[in-house]
Amino acid sequence: MTAVSQASARPLDQGENRRRPYGLLLVAAPVLLVAWLVIWPIVSAVGRTLFQRSDEGAIEFTLDTYLFFFSDRYSLDNLTVTLWTTGMCALLLFVICLPIALYLRFSAGRLPAYVQSLAIFPMFVPSIILSYAFIRVLGPNGMVDILLNAVGLPKIRTPYLTPWGPVIGLVWDNIPLTVLILLSGLGNVSNQAIEAARDVGARWGQVLWHIILPRIGNSILVALSFSVLGIFSSFTLPYVLGPAAPEMMGPFMQRTFRDVNDPQMAITQAVITFGFCIVFGLFYVRSVARNQGK
Amino acid sequence: MARLDIANVSKLFGSTKAVDDFSITVEDGELVCLLGPSGSGKSTLLRMIGGFEKPTYGSMTIDGEEVIHLPPEKRPTGMVFQSHALWSHMNVFKNIAFGLKLRRLPKAEIERRVEAVLELVGLSGYGQRLTHQLSGGQQQRVALARSLVLEPKILLLDEPFASLDQHLRERLREEVRDIQQRLKITTLFVTHAQDEALSVADRIVVLRDGRTEQIARPAEVYREPATPFVAGFIGQMNLVSGVVADGRFGHSAFNVPAAVADGPATLAVRPEALAIAPASGAGMAHVHRVTDYGTHAMIDVELPDGERLKSMMPTADQWTPMQKVDLVPGAFALYRDNGVIYRADAALALAKPARKTRSTVHA
Repeated sequence: MTAVSQASARPLDQGENRRRPYGLLLVAAPVLLVAWLVIWPIVSAVGRTLFQRSDEGAIEFTLDTYLFFFSDRYSLDNLTVTLWTTGMCALLLFVICLPIALYLRFSAGRLPAYVQSLAIFPMFVPSIILSYAFIRVLGPNGMVDILLNAVGLPKIRTPYLTPWGPVIGLVWDNIPLTVLILLSGLGNVSNQAIEAARDVGARWGQVLWHIILPRIGNSILVALSFSVLGIFSSFTLPYVLGPAAPEMMGPFMQRTFRDVNDPQMAITQAVITFGFCIVFGLFYVRSVARNQGK
Repeated sequence: MARLDIANVSKLFGSTKAVDDFSITVEDGELVCLLGPSGSGKSTLLRMIGGFEKPTYGSMTIDGEEVIHLPPEKRPTGMVFQSHALWSHMNVFKNIAFGLKLRRLPKAEIERRVEAVLELVGLSGYGQRLTHQLSGGQQQRVALARSLVLEPKILLLDEPFASLDQHLRERLREEVRDIQQRLKITTLFVTHAQDEALSVADRIVVLRDGRTEQIARPAEVYREPATPFVAGFIGQMNLVSGVVADGRFGHSAFNVPAAVADGPATLAVRPEALAIAPASGAGMAHVHRVTDYGTHAMIDVELPDGERLKSMMPTADQWTPMQKVDLVPGAFALYRDNGVIYRADAALALAKPARKTRSTVHA
């Protein structure tokens, strides 16, 4: 039998353990930056809304601003319209982007390449330009009205300055990201998996329902989480295209802070908005964790 | 049990002919291997039978019923794919039961049939496993079970063992052959591995560039290849180009009697039919390399013009590199214009020192 000395019997992964701090150092800078620019403002905002200075000068715990928000009809209407806009956008994005992604995934040739370019195009258009383009096309006396008038048809009721204005703009703005994420998910569904389903008797609808959608469930969740996070806290499109009242949380916060000059209430609105966003964010984190677990 | 008739089927992708005027009749319970190199059209042909590609011309009938216009979901065929194509979001039971559920069979019937087919493929008790918890061989068995549970008239196997290691391939192909014979299911098996085709097929179809080179029983394909391509593709073959003149095939190193018309020809002789002997004089060739496989030895001999041939000998003991040897061809065939013109058994073939002819050799 060969005698093994203590030194030579050392675990092989000891060197790896020694290297670990270097890896942590590499991520230290972005982690610290996130802590400084994201985590700390959140903690600070929550603290400033929950702990306020009383008239006597003492700092005390209070829920006054939250109680006001959730008892104020105007604030609740704004929250409702934000949730409605977000939900409607998510639904429309799914309904519009899934067929586009399916077409791009299962088609070949030049036409799908052009369709993909068109689907990605909104990504390169700044929101403010999109907003004014929308007004020029669908707004009062816009291009659609002019064309309808030219052929003797009555004006359409413009979605501009109605809750549908931000919905149309936000959906258009979020199509590229949603299509790309869904397309990436569909890339994991092999042609043979689909052919195998057809081989055992599944029609196209059954293939979509039983094979494709379950396989891209994570991608749908990620795409909708990303879109919802962006839409819920969006500012430019709702500000330019949306109605004055009720308004989405982004413009509402800005108006409370600047026009009403009530920073404490604006911070409360921001914390409440963050609270809703974190729920969608947790969906995303759960999806990623589940995926990595597999 | 079913009979498949394919008549004059062609498939064009743009201007490229993937399958060119293919015809075959596969009888009840027969296992036919489609064998050929990459791009020979064998998978395209199988996909056309499965309904995943539509032929440009021709007809296909299963038990006399034309199926060419039927989509895959309506064809009485079952396909096993190279990549297994299991649905990873379903467990083994659900993978197999999916087709039965689509046919709205009662739950008890589905359970009975899934359990029976799991037992058939040797995976009893694996129903609740997720597909990623199975080995490659087990995944392929699940894929086979998924097709078999629907009792298809024709079973299509598209290189089902290509992603498995050699040992597992050998074991699985024997199991598949056993199952196929037990169920007597008409089967088409695509492979590019000649050993696979030779070991499981009732008949082999050798394809090249979309065209049929030969359809025959495995022994016939091996012993009597119809074309030089089949001769070179199935097993190992020494192909020697030379000229027939005055009833003898002539080459720079040796010549053999061949009662055919004069003209260029290609001699095909398998390594096991090409014996070597220590040179009695200057020798026709010298030993280049000796490879001992344990069961036999493969001797690479080099001719004076630098070309090399392979000779299979019982042992490696008496051969050393650079040793001068004489060649003793046994059974061989001569090919001309892509067809066989002469076959000789071992008794007829006698090597003689060569006359000078212009020639090339391919081992």
